[in-house]
Amino acid sequence: MSDETSTPLGIDRRALARSLSQVVRASVDATLQDAEVSHSAAPRIGVTGPPGVGKSSLVARLARHRVERVAPLAVIAIDPTSPNSRGSLLGDRIRMDTVADDPRIYIRSLASGQTQDGLSDNLPEVLATIDGFGFAEIIIETVGVGQSEYAIRQLADVELLVLMPGSGDVVQAMKAGIIETADVIVVNKADLPGAEATANDLRSVLGRRRARSSPPIVLVRHDDDKGLHELSGMIDDALAKSVRSGGELERRCRFNRYRVHMLAVRRLSEVLGSLPASRFAEHPAIVYRDLLTRLIESPRGRG
Amino acid sequence: MNATAARPPSLQGKRILIAKPGLDGHDVGAKVIALALRDAGADVIYTGLRKAPGFIARVAVDEDVDAVGLSILSGSHNELVTQTLEELRTLGAEDIPVFVGGTIPADDQSTLRAKGVRGVYTSEIPLDDVIASVAELLS
Ligand code: B12
Ligand SMILES: Nc1nc2c(ncn2[C@@H]2O[C@H](COP(=O)(O)OP(=O)(O)O)[C@@H](O)[C@H]2O)c(=O)[nH]1
Ligand SMILES: [Mg+2]
Repeated sequence: MSDETSTPLGIDRRALARSLSQVVRASVDATLQDAEVSHSAAPRIGVTGPPGVGKSSLVARLARHRVERVAPLAVIAIDPTSPNSRGSLLGDRIRMDTVADDPRIYIRSLASGQTQDGLSDNLPEVLATIDGFGFAEIIIETVGVGQSEYAIRQLADVELLVLMPGSGDVVQAMKAGIIETADVIVVNKADLPGAEATANDLRSVLGRRRARSSPPIVLVRHDDDKGLHELSGMIDDALAKSVRSGGELERRCRFNRYRVHMLAVRRLSEVLGSLPASRFAEHPAIVYRDLLTRLIESPRGRG
Repeated sequence: MNATAARPPSLQGKRILIAKPGLDGHDVGAKVIALALRDAGADVIYTGLRKAPGFIARVAVDEDVDAVGLSILSGSHNELVTQTLEELRTLGAEDIPVFVGGTIPADDQSTLRAKGVRGVYTSEIPLDDVIASVAELLS
């Protein structure tokens, strides 16, 4: 598939970039044929949170800080696909200027595509491909739609939820959602007024839940590295804990479970898309049974 | 945009880098083009202002784009385009098509084409025609 050279700093970036395009565009059948079984997967850090809280800027600073210890490092930055034109404006990269010139860091912007879960079509395959090129760590920035992002939990070893002063309403809305699954909560832009108040709101929301030990909360600001270093340490702790608690096998199973799930979802929409609109005039039970039959039939692409 | 117009050409699945090389602070045109390309279905990456040709070429490679569009209103298009093409060649990426927009005098347009630029677009060309031409170039 690619003539990769995977000595740590001598990654063939063109080959990697092209492999990723192929993998992103691949149909389900093509994916199944080429799927790499990654045995040594790099630790994955998922970064999620509402638009505008400073995720991209933070990812850039985290990457620059961590790459001194873990190199090479890959960043996947996902932005939404427009439902109207199916096009996208991939803007995360503008905030990552400071690291885009570091040969130890590879940044790739992806559109969310058909996926509605805050991630991107074929993301598991993208990650497996990156693993194949010998990266030491991967940071994934999600679309950041708010509460519906349990998906990143399936793929990431550590999940950061990024908020900012004034995210109070969001906190209220999210209390039953992603706030429970995050490993670390970042109150970003702590240079703005209200950061402590937001952190306190979070503590009180978390305090009311007993089921799970509360994630640590850290204040981070772009004009000071103290919070950033603290955050990086928390990531290390969370990574160590996730390896200790489940081990490599559990991790691989969780990854592959999501991978299979996404393949099935995509196959379903491929087959649905191949049915003419007029079919849906029939009784749903008939169409449904026909659909199931088609699902297990031999390869049939879209169109 | 206008709903009744003929179906715009689709750039779906194409990845396009819009870049502003040099010390030029005019970014309205680049943003207009980025949005129009997105609305025609492309995945658009915008570099932001004042980027070195070498930086632009590296981003083009890392992002595996299908084309690079340079927006230049500073008058330095000849130098900046030459350098960008050179940097792409250095990275073995001379196969990525490059097009240019902005304030490009008519005389320079053929010079740029001779260097390998695939299309030159100034503000006299209606936006829909620009997008149609880019789509054709990449089909
Ligand atoms: C607005 C403007 C400004 C604004 C810019 C605001 C901003 N954030 O962009 C301000 C006031 C800041 C400004 C400053 C200056 N400006 Co001025 N500015 C203009 C002006 C009047 C309009 C530019 C514009 O926005 N047009 C609207 C957009 C939509 O059009 P466009 O950029 O041409 O883009 C279209 C096409 O060219 C094409 N296109 C553009 N890029 C791309 C890329 C691709 C890939 C594609 C396919 C197509 C494409 O598609 C777009 C849509 O049709 C032009 C004159 C003119 N009529 O062009 C002068 C002009 C560009 N400026 C000029 C100058 C000299 C300056 C200054 C140096 C003035 C000074 N002495 O201080 C400064 C320098 C600023 C800097 N740091 O670079 C000169 C440039 C001369 C030259 N090229 O040799 C011009 C041509 C005026 C003139 N006739 O002298 N300027
Ligand atoms: N005041 C302040 N602004 C910040 C900070 N970090 C990022 N920003 C700004 O917040 C805006 C959104 O940042 P971005 O990284 O694109 O957020 P994203 O949408 O979550 O990825 C930009 O204008 C940044 O400059 C910070 O620590 N303090
Ligand atoms: Mg972002």
